[in-house]
Amino acid sequence: MPAAARAATVSSGTAERPEVADPAPRASGGADLEARSVCKRYGDRVVLDNVSLAVHAGESVAITGENGAGKSTLLRICAGLIKPDSGHVSVRGRVGFCPQEPGLFDLLSADDHLALFAPALGLTREQAISEGHALLGEFSFPTAERTQCRRLSGGARQKVNLALALLGNATVLLLDEPYQGFDHGSYVSFWEHVARWTGAGLGVVVVTHLLEENALVEGVVSRVVEMHIPQTGDASGRQ
Amino acid sequence: MMRRVLVPAQMTARELARRGVALGMLTALPLAFYLASTRSGGDAVITGGISMAFSIAGAAIFIALTARPVDQRLTLAGYRPFELLLGRLLLLELFGLAVAGLFSIVMVVGTGPQHPWLLAGGVGLVALTSVPFGLAVGALVPNELEGVLILIGVVGVQLTLQSTQTLAKFLPFWGAQRLLQHSVEGGVSVSAALPASLAYSVALFFAAAYIVHRRAPVPVAAPTS
Repeated sequence: MPAAARAATVSSGTAERPEVADPAPRASGGADLEARSVCKRYGDRVVLDNVSLAVHAGESVAITGENGAGKSTLLRICAGLIKPDSGHVSVRGRVGFCPQEPGLFDLLSADDHLALFAPALGLTREQAISEGHALLGEFSFPTAERTQCRRLSGGARQKVNLALALLGNATVLLLDEPYQGFDHGSYVSFWEHVARWTGAGLGVVVVTHLLEENALVEGVVSRVVEMHIPQTGDASGRQ
Repeated sequence: MMRRVLVPAQMTARELARRGVALGMLTALPLAFYLASTRSGGDAVITGGISMAFSIAGAAIFIALTARPVDQRLTLAGYRPFELLLGRLLLLELFGLAVAGLFSIVMVVGTGPQHPWLLAGGVGLVALTSVPFGLAVGALVPNELEGVLILIGVVGVQLTLQSTQTLAKFLPFWGAQRLLQHSVEGGVSVSAALPASLAYSVALFFAAAYIVHRRAPVPVAAPTS
């Protein structure tokens, strides 16, 4: 674990929660993303039990934990994609969300996707493609080609996925293992970019499995939040 | 608003155009039904016309289901689910009416009906109703298999029933069936055909809109402080 990262634990079914995981104070006020006492269950299976998380502007938080600890579920709740059973989530500004599985149209190209997202983000087609090319270019994506997404490698699809999350003026980035399929260079570049994004004032949350194996995050991640499978439910194998 | 409808429509068109084989099969399917039943005289027009719903509604179901995971992100980015749905409706209706036009010409030439314009109107109504029907089914079911089974069930039952039977009147393509029947046989009351098809189409579209709205991401609140 990087020396710069401070570890906190968000587990479920323990007596000390609700817990806001070591929020860093910010001069301008409260957190950009705050999830308070969030609970979620699927049938009898408790996925999140009274979990809280706060992320401030310019802060990067890595969420780690075993399969089934509810990392992806927490991220999707923070994005608004899933409604929690109880608890409260608030976001200052707009969320950029990068899901674990690239949600892309197989028969459309990267440029088609950028053009499709443009009206939603209040951008012109030209602005979206220009901004998207700049983002994709930073990850060595061949922007000159107009390849349909079904013909892209897994890593290249993930780069499009990530670029779509970054498009527009997001204030908080929620990235669910965004580097899957990346080659080593792109993976290194990803963490350098996290440092840049936080430097620009964005709040960044990264769900990751690789944190412990890697020294790249040294000085990049502000805080590590470790999640555990709730003791009150059988969540084996759930991600 | 207009751009937020037209751009999804444009991308749906692009996606559809890149499915060359599927497009060919979509066009060939009702033609096969029609040609297979030409020996039964005027019934071939009804069979061919109604079976066009397999093609158009099938395309709509597939478009709706493949878009579902991306739609969540698009809605999160700022689209309203209704805008995405409306864009696809407009594009698929254009596609459906184009197929209907071509198919009408084939059937008018092949069968020589008493009322060629009513034949074209009946085929057009099939296309009109098929799109919201497919979008509603695509919004409702979890996978393609369930969607295709519903499609086969509804269209298949409509094909086996006479338009005078009570159950036929409750199915989405009854109005089109009446027009097609009258175009070849005459003597069929068609006054309710158009209102019934329009009402069914509007109801199906709003059912689809309701389902996608229910599935859309919940807006995350801004901080109170």
